[in-house]
Amino acid sequence: MIKTFITSFKLKNTYRTNSIIYSIKQLPIIRKILPNSLYKNNGLKIFANIISILCEIIGIFIGKIIYIAAMIVSVLSLYNTNQADTFIHIFTFLTLCGGVLNTYMLNPTKDKYYAIILMNINAREYGLSNYYYQLLKLIIGFLPFTILFGMTTGIPIWIQIILSFFVVAVKLIVMNYSIYRFKKTKKASNENLPTKFVWGFVGVCLLLAYGLPAANIMINQTIFLFVFIISMILGIYSLIKIHIFKDYKKMYKQILTETNVYAVEKNSGTQAIKNVSLKQIELDENYVSNKSGFAYFHDLFVKRHKKILTEAVKKQSVVILVIFIILAIGININGEFKSKINNMLTVFLPYFVFIMYCLNRSSSVTQAMFMNCDHSMLTYRIYRTPKVILGIFKERLRTLIIINLLPASIIGFGLALMLYLSGGTDNTLNYAVLIASIIAMSIFFSVHYLVMYYLLQPYNVNTEMKSSTYKAVQGITYFVCWYMIQIQLPTLSFGIATICFCIAYSLISLFIAYKYAPKTFKLRI
Amino acid sequence: MKLIIKNLNKKFDKKVVLKDINFEFEKGKIYGLLGRNGAGKTTLFNCLNEDIEVDGGEFYIEDQKTRKVLPDDIGYVLSTPNVPEFLTGREFLKFFIEINKDKIKNEKTIDEYFDFMKIEKEDRDKLLKDYSHGMKNKMQMLVNFIASPNILLLDEPLTSFDVVVAEEMKQMLREIKKNHIIIFSTHIMELALDLCDEIVILNKGTLEEIDKNDIDNEHLKNKIIEALKEE
Repeated sequence: MIKTFITSFKLKNTYRTNSIIYSIKQLPIIRKILPNSLYKNNGLKIFANIISILCEIIGIFIGKIIYIAAMIVSVLSLYNTNQADTFIHIFTFLTLCGGVLNTYMLNPTKDKYYAIILMNINAREYGLSNYYYQLLKLIIGFLPFTILFGMTTGIPIWIQIILSFFVVAVKLIVMNYSIYRFKKTKKASNENLPTKFVWGFVGVCLLLAYGLPAANIMINQTIFLFVFIISMILGIYSLIKIHIFKDYKKMYKQILTETNVYAVEKNSGTQAIKNVSLKQIELDENYVSNKSGFAYFHDLFVKRHKKILTEAVKKQSVVILVIFIILAIGININGEFKSKINNMLTVFLPYFVFIMYCLNRSSSVTQAMFMNCDHSMLTYRIYRTPKVILGIFKERLRTLIIINLLPASIIGFGLALMLYLSGGTDNTLNYAVLIASIIAMSIFFSVHYLVMYYLLQPYNVNTEMKSSTYKAVQGITYFVCWYMIQIQLPTLSFGIATICFCIAYSLISLFIAYKYAPKTFKLRI
Repeated sequence: MKLIIKNLNKKFDKKVVLKDINFEFEKGKIYGLLGRNGAGKTTLFNCLNEDIEVDGGEFYIEDQKTRKVLPDDIGYVLSTPNVPEFLTGREFLKFFIEINKDKIKNEKTIDEYFDFMKIEKEDRDKLLKDYSHGMKNKMQMLVNFIASPNILLLDEPLTSFDVVVAEEMKQMLREIKKNHIIIFSTHIMELALDLCDEIVILNKGTLEEIDKNDIDNEHLKNKIIEALKEE
């Protein structure tokens, strides 16, 4: 098993090393200097190897610190409860969510696909050795931060230490249950396609995690110890069951289909991703468009992609509405919560940059635009004429702005309403700024993604993403939005600055797109 | 009308794919472009379709006067058919006809075009994503026939057709060739010999016309294979 693990680790490392070299090769200017024989260069391979191993080490910790900080520590101040108990309470329920949503073993990743399906490596040895490695990484990754945050919130040291073992035990129990179900039904579950039952379970856990502390009900340390002992017993039993299970090959053959694997690797792009995108097309036989030309073409695109456009946005809007209703109830029944919300709304607007970034649909919509439309149409010279490019660009821009505007308006007006319900503000301009800045952010993201798509068109004829500049822009956008989480600024000044920035950015980028898109919007060869 | 290529060069890193290509393609002829795998046939088409920048040289149209090749002059049918899969066959034709309205001569109804391409009635309102490979290829050919560009670049277009449709397509190409320059890349020598008026070989980055006058097909085949084998 160790030999298989070393082979699989080397394989993963080679894949990652080549990806790093490939990324370097894609950088603007540098790509012109570097030759194709780069993959043979030993010095560079060593350099890429070092980066790859560093990524592996950093990867052990980075996700865990963000997870604990964002999901637990950042919300502790909202509750007027015992901080240690609240931490343990939220951690416990989130662990249950994580247990069912992320098993590692049942995630159809590309490295598993390469090793087990394409290279025929022993599935049991591969699956188990990598699974144990992931569990070990989990313990090592969580331990420093459960200790660090545990100390700041006053959790006893022994609980700080056992928290990470609790996570592992829950994962083992879930995995054993999945194997049990596979043995019974002969159907393996892909963890990326959770059932309604799983979503329901996650929803209930989240509600219990964040809802109960508001009513001052929490899992205290004694109850946690009891839960921990039970999970350790079940965890060890599960570990034995998982270890002696033999039919991993059969199970993986079901999970590691091309469609499943490439549904995960959204950015890498191959025929399989194209197949996933094609599934998003739905024919409504009763619909007849009475438009013509570009408007007709685009109108049908929107109608045929309801699932990822209008329906997705409607679902978002319903969830946002429900959250606001819960907040409104909370404000009405809890005085302390009311004043905290009021305080938050006057300084937490930067946080909403990240929320608006997460909610904006433009990134996945532009991907569908390419996969299901531009990939084929860009091979026609007529489609690449400035008149056609700009004609369709205008239609798309209008649609993206409108569909993203629905959840944005609900958030904007919802925030203003929450501000009013929670005690209002001295300066009535705050209400208008809240609404306008959220809408401006939404328009900004719509413009930003579409303009970047037209200026950097990142895909090639094989639907592979080939632009490192595009990836870099996506990365920077994410980083800036994420950075905003940590900033607290007065709503009025930050809001006005945001509105001005969004208007200026949108105007400038649209001007650039109109000028250069006819030259840049083409297939990469 | 002629398509004239002068000193066309293209390389990827150090690999020279097209080396100082000089050639004249004339209207009214179908040119069979033969070359080994990786010889650069698709690269040549991509250069002519301006999908990629050339490193040197030029190409232009010589009619009564010399002029640049415009987007409307070129139709490019790829070996892998490319059609907007979220549209039905009928919707695709409607859109294509609308955006080309001022260029289409003797416009027909959509059903007449379908009839011309022998696309069955029950398939016309199906989504293109549900068309077979060959049907998609038919649609791709059809829109290029409708737009009727001066130059048609066909990259292995008949390989996905069954024998009956392939014969029909060959017949159609023969019918429309008098008004077009048709450059047809293929690996199938029999197809090239059967359909094409001229045989052009792309080997080691250069284009060479094979003189097929006064020799029978067997000798011609041997001549082509010898030319392709040359290192």
